[in-house]
Amino acid sequence: MKQKLYVLLSLFVLVSMALAACGAPAPTEAPATEAPATEAPATEAPTEVVDDFEGRVLSAPDCDSTGIIKSVEATARYEVTFTLCQPDPAFLSKIAFGVYGIYPEEWIEATAGETSRTTEGLERPVGTGPYMVSEWNRGESITFTANPNYWGDAPEAETLVFRWSSESAARLLELQSGTVDGIDNVGPTDFETVANDPNLSLNERPALNVFYIGFTNTFAPFDNQDVRQAIAKGIDRQRIVDTFYPPGSEVASHFTPCAIANGCVGDPWYDFDPEAAREQLAAAGFPDGFSTKIYYRDVVRGYLPQVSNVAQDIQAQLKENLNIDAEIVVMESGAFIEESTAGRLDGIYLLGWGADYPHVTNFLDFHFSEANPQFGVQSPTYFEPLAEAAQIADPAEAEPLYVEANNAIREYVPMIPVAHGGSGTAYRSDVTNQQASPLSNEYFAVMDPGGRDVFVWMQNAEPISLFCADETDGESLRACEQVIEALYSYEVNGTDVQPALATSCEPNEDLTVWVCALREGVTFHDGTTFDANDVVATFTMGLDASSPLHKGNTNAWEYYDYLWGLMNKPSE
Amino acid sequence: MTNQTATIATLDAEQISIQSVSLWQITWRRLFRRKSALVGMFILGVLIFIALTAEFLAPYGYDEVLIGKEDVVAREKPCIHLLGCSPEKPQHLAGIDGNVRDQFSRLLYGARLSLLVGFSTVTFAIIIGTILGAVAGYVGGWWDNIIMRFMDVLLAFPSLLLAIAIVTVLGPGLINALIAIGIVSIPSYARVMRASVLSVREMDYISATRALGGSNFQILFKRILPNALTPLIVQGTLGIASAILDAAALSFLGLGAQPPTPEWGSMLGAERNQVFTAPHLVFYPGFMIMLTVLSFNLIGDGLRDALDPRLAHVS
Amino acid sequence: MAQYIIRRILASIPVLFGILIVTFVIARVIPGDPCKAILGEKATPEVCERFIKDKGLDKPIHEQLFIYIGEILQGDFGNSIRMNVPVTRLLIERLPTTVELSLAALLVSVLIGIPLGVISAVKHNSWIDVLTMVWANIGVSMPVFWLGLMLIYFFSLVLKDTPFWLPPSGRVSPGIPDDPFFEVWGWVIPESGFWAGVLVFFSRMNILNALLTSNWELLRDATEHLILPALALGTIPMALIARMSRSAMLDVLGQDYIRTARAKGLGRLGVIVKHAFSNALLPIVTVIGLSLGSLLGGAVLTETVFGLSGLGRTLFEAITARDYGIVQSFTVVIAIMYVIINLIVDISYGYLDPRIRLD
Repeated sequence: MKQKLYVLLSLFVLVSMALAACGAPAPTEAPATEAPATEAPATEAPTEVVDDFEGRVLSAPDCDSTGIIKSVEATARYEVTFTLCQPDPAFLSKIAFGVYGIYPEEWIEATAGETSRTTEGLERPVGTGPYMVSEWNRGESITFTANPNYWGDAPEAETLVFRWSSESAARLLELQSGTVDGIDNVGPTDFETVANDPNLSLNERPALNVFYIGFTNTFAPFDNQDVRQAIAKGIDRQRIVDTFYPPGSEVASHFTPCAIANGCVGDPWYDFDPEAAREQLAAAGFPDGFSTKIYYRDVVRGYLPQVSNVAQDIQAQLKENLNIDAEIVVMESGAFIEESTAGRLDGIYLLGWGADYPHVTNFLDFHFSEANPQFGVQSPTYFEPLAEAAQIADPAEAEPLYVEANNAIREYVPMIPVAHGGSGTAYRSDVTNQQASPLSNEYFAVMDPGGRDVFVWMQNAEPISLFCADETDGESLRACEQVIEALYSYEVNGTDVQPALATSCEPNEDLTVWVCALREGVTFHDGTTFDANDVVATFTMGLDASSPLHKGNTNAWEYYDYLWGLMNKPSE
Repeated sequence: MTNQTATIATLDAEQISIQSVSLWQITWRRLFRRKSALVGMFILGVLIFIALTAEFLAPYGYDEVLIGKEDVVAREKPCIHLLGCSPEKPQHLAGIDGNVRDQFSRLLYGARLSLLVGFSTVTFAIIIGTILGAVAGYVGGWWDNIIMRFMDVLLAFPSLLLAIAIVTVLGPGLINALIAIGIVSIPSYARVMRASVLSVREMDYISATRALGGSNFQILFKRILPNALTPLIVQGTLGIASAILDAAALSFLGLGAQPPTPEWGSMLGAERNQVFTAPHLVFYPGFMIMLTVLSFNLIGDGLRDALDPRLAHVS
Repeated sequence: MAQYIIRRILASIPVLFGILIVTFVIARVIPGDPCKAILGEKATPEVCERFIKDKGLDKPIHEQLFIYIGEILQGDFGNSIRMNVPVTRLLIERLPTTVELSLAALLVSVLIGIPLGVISAVKHNSWIDVLTMVWANIGVSMPVFWLGLMLIYFFSLVLKDTPFWLPPSGRVSPGIPDDPFFEVWGWVIPESGFWAGVLVFFSRMNILNALLTSNWELLRDATEHLILPALALGTIPMALIARMSRSAMLDVLGQDYIRTARAKGLGRLGVIVKHAFSNALLPIVTVIGLSLGSLLGGAVLTETVFGLSGLGRTLFEAITARDYGIVQSFTVVIAIMYVIINLIVDISYGYLDPRIRLD
């Protein structure tokens, strides 16, 4: 009896599974999300040049259906014109960002898959850079080989290998054994070891980031400015930096690091003063402190290398200095970002920011504009001067506005800036041109690994894909920046921009039209010649949401959207 | 007539009570004879003592930050005066941890947590497991099938992975980790209970009790459960050992105890990157875990051998 | 015998079905949405909306379940949401690491555990016996991750610059050629498809590949990298197997038929091998089967400590990153592997002990 039951049950299950299998639609294809493909705005403007060059044009119908860029036009074989909807003083800084590297027109078309870029497109990008992707051994390593036809100086090492390990101890060990030539993010406790080892060299990375303690001032008791100011005075930030941060880190005097123009103008942050803090807290109505929570995610970032240790120390300090009982709540990374950026966390939270491009607007405007709900209610005392200053190109001219904004931030205390987190890279001592780039985009073509043929670099994690147009992760960006190039680039180990694929980009009077002259005689890795159409095709792919070329990895195109604003976004 | 029956009934009761006393005594005596079980019990005794008196034994608080109070650096190696460390420096038997706290004190407080973890998970799992197993074995039929199939599905996943999945659903935290490990441990107790029930269900004295008018509930509790007690105890003791290991693994991965709780696994996990520069922060917590788990394993083994009639001739 | 096998297989089917459902439920019930987890802090709500629609995550749950089951049955495990590659490809790339590690650990545990246990049983109560049992008890009590870290400390730091040094992480050193065997043999294989996948799978098991292509450099290097993880992972099963071998042998050695064999004049070794061991096999095989669970679970910890990109660690990272594609598929694969292995163990019972077949 039991036997038959078993057989019947199993048959039933088999049949239902078979039905499910037959009933399921064809596996991977998600329904097409693109609006009916209106071919890339087609007004082929014939150019003045005699040769039969047909320049592509990317243009938005009007400034409502786009962000900053109105049109990108190939006005000559080696000239591209960007027309903007508003003045952008940071244009050159932004255009040099690795995400905006240029791909060949035909390759973009060939690797645009159904809903996302083909695997070939994601893993073997074709660019103009000094290295080409040779092999990606997923989980193990990526191998690059030198580009024999590179327009600039040939790379020093014939072969470049990327490896990764999430454990700083493992990275250091491999460097010491000589199995790798350079590592990223030396562990905070290892700086001394590296510095004392004659075979290794330590390079400290300037801290273009900030770690802050955030409040959401729509929740009591943080709606009281005196409470926020009291906490600002009651935390010994020097102790945090001394104990938990590597050398090269500094206590934040302002939100923006001083390395950035207009970053630290205005009065410096409050000094640590526990008595004054307690007084102010008592006057605000909390003589015996109160209970709250500390939210954070257990993710290591340059601005916060020892997350849970810092959280515990802040908890201890709040208790000791202000009698505030804070419960530690660790959140999952995605959920934490979602809740904090939407302003829904009812306690204090630990977050930071790393520079995307070296301009003060990347720090202040993102966080302290009126529309950002992260800190609760923003104050016009700072968001108004910031909005005004964003339109001014000359830093000296904009300075008084930034002084006003910084002082207002200090008064209002939407958050407490704590530290600019230094980090460091380490190399074998015989590596030339060692770098610890402030933007984390080390450029390996100029590094000679002591005469050896192969340069092995070890970073924190594996790149997600090598299609940087649709990536945000620094580990991916560093890899693809060896292979593709943008119109401008950041100088090696610095933040100033220099011409790359463009020889110059000249703006008009009010910074709304930029005309870029392109470098001639450059070929892509697949042999095709670089010209203006490749630039337009690349920006079409990245900016125009209605284009069939707009296929990426996750199709989020965050950086195209966030720094420029996508064109023709689907209306729902 | 009545006199005779009365005498028989009393004799019976006496004999039965004499029997049960001597069984326990025999077990105890055999347990003590095994040296390894003695070692285990000694270690456990020390740990229980530490757990109860941590406040008095620990020279510092478990979350007491020493910055500004003593001249120590984060992750400093242990300083033991008896072994030659200069008497001017403050003594820290197990060194300083990443947040400038005394590790020795944290280790002592951690004993409390680990013992609690072990006992509560296993209690939770035993209660639910025995109920499920008893129902499956006693009622039989469809219930048996469904319950045991569900146990099979639970057992089809490696226990740690399933626990990780459950904790991710519930959210990180020690309580959730306990629930996850408890859930994952249920099947083995259910099986033990069910096997016991099945083996005893058809025996004569059960039918006799039923004939005398005993309810199902009575039968389960008074007759069947005591029978299952011995394998459950053995399984439970060994289960505490593996529960402590699993909880440490979850904390190591960041899913269990949250800072600043001084749980050994999370202490280890937090410092695993510093294994070369601060090995004392990796060695001691792991060593304590091993010691605790060892004690339960030794006791569990001893109990199993002591309670197993077959091994009566093998010492 | 065949009937027995069929019965065991049929009994596994409802379990497999249950696994599919449980995996799906778990993956969906995990809090936090994959968008921010994968796209990071800079993803805006509109970006997330597009993302969710793209990945089909906005369909009703039961529809998603049907699609999921249907795809699995057709061998399509979907895509990793995060890396946008088919999960099958990740499986082919990462499963060999775990399989190689588990097999090595199993080998270590069996090759050391069984002899130790047998010797302890034969030399019952001698110092070998006591030492082995102490070692076995300690081995069973050690957290895998702690043992791994201690081994790394000892072999990579303490023994640095000695011939006994072992690497602390990874599978191979860079620069060592590791051409797959089918390339070396000059086979031409299709770009994709089932057989291509199988061949790539086997070629990624470095030791096997090295043996097949007589690549002694690779063989040495891969073995060096495998020793420590295998030791760490295999210690607990080794201890279990040693204990079980010992008690099973003790049981058997005390039986009457052993005395009869000795009385008949069979030498000591002959008795052990011919009569005792084969009868003790049943409980030993049981323990080996049970150990596989701890191997697969312990693989997560070992892979994390040694920086290996295997099934366990990828799954753990995927759970943290809410990558449903990987979580669902890998969990199913692991559970299926587990069921199949238990099936094999069950069937080998039937082979070893005829009495069980009739159950």
